[in-house]
Amino acid sequence: MSTPLDKEIVDHLTENARTSFRQIAKKTDKSTDTIINHYTNLTENGDIRGSTVVVDREKIGYEGIAAFEIDVTSNTDTNSDQILETLIKMPNIIVATKTVGEHDILVLAVIHDLKHYQEISVDISHIKGVKNLASNIWSGNEKIMPKYFII
Amino acid sequence: MARQKIDTVDITILRNLQRDARTKYTDIANECNVSVDTIIKRYRKLQKQGIITNTTLLLDPRRFGDEVIANFSIDVEPQSIQEVLTYLDKQPGIIFTTHSLGEYDIFTIATARNMNEMNNLKETIQSHTMVREVKTSIWVDQFLLCPQNFELEPLLEETQ
Repeated sequence: MSTPLDKEIVDHLTENARTSFRQIAKKTDKSTDTIINHYTNLTENGDIRGSTVVVDREKIGYEGIAAFEIDVTSNTDTNSDQILETLIKMPNIIVATKTVGEHDILVLAVIHDLKHYQEISVDISHIKGVKNLASNIWSGNEKIMPKYFII
Repeated sequence: MARQKIDTVDITILRNLQRDARTKYTDIANECNVSVDTIIKRYRKLQKQGIITNTTLLLDPRRFGDEVIANFSIDVEPQSIQEVLTYLDKQPGIIFTTHSLGEYDIFTIATARNMNEMNNLKETIQSHTMVREVKTSIWVDQFLLCPQNFELEPLLEETQ
């Protein structure tokens, strides 16, 4: 991110991604075209990866979130990237990343209840190349919308 | 918490906005074959119901100077979970904390400018007298976010 204006645009859109470019232009005392150009640059260079709506998961029937930490077999047939690709297409998995440390992959999934949690565990453990699975259920009132939208 | 009633128009709105929060109401209206006014009304209804809490950007922390992302799995003395959570919330760099049930007690996500800073953060966590063990996992490559993997369709079946 390069300019103070970029930061202002990001701040406005982080607060409300639907803010119109015209409104941002007014607030920053710039032309709408300038805002559009900066926004396009921010998107093209990868600073902004996209935008999304934040939903209250409890209101749509999800009681909690579970973290699954996956160990991958040291087998040449499958690698972490392929497993990651499979995981990210599975319903209810909302975050996935490769990690270095205790485990190889971390995924976060939204869960309806304990039975659902078990089903997801089984589904993940059945993916080719998954050697071991450690899981935890989150029981706190997680803050949605931290500095970066991750959950 | 009671599940809210939603229909196919609501789901189409949510699905579109999960993929791109800046999707034009007219595009959603065309897809649903309803008027733009209907979409705007529905969007407001979803906000009022508390289903939509916000819209936001998906940013790449590394492009904003936070080069290292990691999660810490923390084991603490049994009666001190809340105390440690409060302590963690005050540490700069920690962007997410939660009480966790399973192998460890607390799960947290943190960002730092470099490995050195991340290591300092780990030591700060370890220095708390009620913390027994901290395990670190560094996130590599781009982490993947897929809010569209929320299942909305079961809500529909229930209310039909």
